[in-house]
Amino acid sequence: MAENENVIEVRDVTKSFRVYLDKGAQLKERLLFRKRSRYEERRVLRGISFDVKKGEAIGLIGHNGCGKSTTLKLLTRIMYPDSGSINIKGRVSSLIELGAGFHPDMSGRENIYTNASIFGLTKKEIDARLDSIVEFSELEDFIDNPVRTYSSGMYMRLAFSVAINVDADVLLIDEILAVGDANFQTKCFNKLREIKAQGATIVIVSHALGQIEQICDRSVWIHEGLIRAEGPPKEVDLEYLDFMSRRVQEKNRDETGGAELSAESGGKRWGSGEARITSVRSYAADGSEQNAFRTGEDIRLCVEYTVKEPLEDAVIGFGVFDMNGVQCYGTNTRIDKIGGLSLGKSGKAVITLKDVKLIGGEYTIDLAIEKGEGIPVDYYRQAYRIQMLSSLGDAGIARIDHTWDIQR
Amino acid sequence: MSTIKELYAYRQMIFSLVKKDLRGRYKGSVLGFLWTFINPLFQLIVYTIVFSKILRNDIPRYYLYLFVALIPWIFFSSSITVGAASIISQKDLVKKIYFPRMVIPISYVTSCFVNMLLCFIVIFAVIIVTGAGVNFLALLTLPVIMIVEYIFALGMAMIASAVTVYFRDLEHILGIIAMAWMYLTPVVYSKKIVPDRYLPLFNLNPMTHIIDCYRTVLYEKQVPDLTALLWAAGLGVFFLIFGAFVFNKLQRHFAEEL
Repeated sequence: MAENENVIEVRDVTKSFRVYLDKGAQLKERLLFRKRSRYEERRVLRGISFDVKKGEAIGLIGHNGCGKSTTLKLLTRIMYPDSGSINIKGRVSSLIELGAGFHPDMSGRENIYTNASIFGLTKKEIDARLDSIVEFSELEDFIDNPVRTYSSGMYMRLAFSVAINVDADVLLIDEILAVGDANFQTKCFNKLREIKAQGATIVIVSHALGQIEQICDRSVWIHEGLIRAEGPPKEVDLEYLDFMSRRVQEKNRDETGGAELSAESGGKRWGSGEARITSVRSYAADGSEQNAFRTGEDIRLCVEYTVKEPLEDAVIGFGVFDMNGVQCYGTNTRIDKIGGLSLGKSGKAVITLKDVKLIGGEYTIDLAIEKGEGIPVDYYRQAYRIQMLSSLGDAGIARIDHTWDIQR
Repeated sequence: MSTIKELYAYRQMIFSLVKKDLRGRYKGSVLGFLWTFINPLFQLIVYTIVFSKILRNDIPRYYLYLFVALIPWIFFSSSITVGAASIISQKDLVKKIYFPRMVIPISYVTSCFVNMLLCFIVIFAVIIVTGAGVNFLALLTLPVIMIVEYIFALGMAMIASAVTVYFRDLEHILGIIAMAWMYLTPVVYSKKIVPDRYLPLFNLNPMTHIIDCYRTVLYEKQVPDLTALLWAAGLGVFFLIFGAFVFNKLQRHFAEEL
């Protein structure tokens, strides 16, 4: 196969699904309610075209339901397009469903044969690959035990090892690299790079943009069934993140109905009530109101409050929690030595968070007004919600600035 | 043509599925694989009692007369009734991974076929033990008859499995059809007692000829009527091609329907 040859050619592909409102699959229902089996035609793909060259890796990105997984299914030939054409040259292996056809009572070795045969390998071909599959899975000691005795990590390792050792010309991957522990993930990544270097063509669907940036030469952003942008991952991913942050912000606003805080929110709010927090808004550095931010951006929180009875020594505080309820940061005006605040009338506190290095994900913010030695006046748990967006796949709570210097 | 080539490439998958099916079928039951034999044996006993003791007939060695027809019939009927549900029962595979979908009905029919071959061991044991004897020349045609039946069963299984995906009732309807079909095929009785005016209809049924051939070879110990066998083979091939055509048309939307 010549270099620069298109291995995958997708031309004007459309795909619709029938979403049955009331589906009768049985004879009685079909006959009796013929008119009732109404359905909606949902157009998932509205005509997309792209090519992938030999040895190239592309990432399909887009929000949930945009059609990227459907595209992958069409490439896998699980489904067929309504119109348009898809041409793929060579053997296709998909890492969409790992461990397809695994039988729990059969040994790891037997399952390698079954599973590999589903990829179209003959016995001879499997024999030749058996050692490398077992070695890659690191399951040498367990390979003759029934698969039901495996941990889920071992199961996935075995399944991944089979799929990746098929020697496919085209590898289709759907959110794989959630497989196993960090070590094994690294190993998978290296293997993918190796396969790619040997000339395999790779298509990845992932939400982890970091993974795509690490391995792909090109990102294809699918939006509502059409290709919205295509190009180097760094550029397209940023464009996508920008778009998503605006979208998330709109959605959040719809959900909370602005950020006006309701008076009572059962169990989430308590305090003596001399003052109350009435609204929270967040702004980006450029002053635009939004609540989705990229890691490393500045965030300005504007907290408005009303005062019913003047307070002499008030303290305002906030805490940031991740979705597991782990506090990522918390402080207040006392800790920061702002000094006792006297709140005489309604006002506003602006908290500027510089260079927020929280990793991608959703975070909730607690806000509080206290008096004296920490007596809550208005403690509002999960008063606000922000979304952090990151194109990197790093892990933890907050990004620690770092540099690498590898000496060899 | 490309379908055949692809199926050939996936032969190991067919082999694995057949193995998995045969091994898994009676898993957990006390008698395990013996059920392969017990099931047809009990059917044989019941039919023998009903049709030779109660509804008396004058066929000598009726049990053998019935046995050599019943085993091939069970292969055929289980191919279509079990085969009908085959795609649905493998929906996890179908929805998530690509392979030529025909692999599924092929492996189901093949595993039924292997079951029949195993039962033939019992048939031969009965033939030898009872001293009924065999005609070796006639026996040479037995594999041909089996292949003809396999082809026909596969064609029917393809249609049944593909249509059942869209129309689930078919699985149950086929249970009734299989029963009716059995009584409309000379399995428990002889073709000779069929009234002449119905004979043309009976002759349209490929299973009439196939069952008749089995019986000629194993019971009457004669080389079967080759024109009948050819006719059955012709119909079998027709249904296989037609079945494959229908299957290919319908399989495009399997993943969405399941």
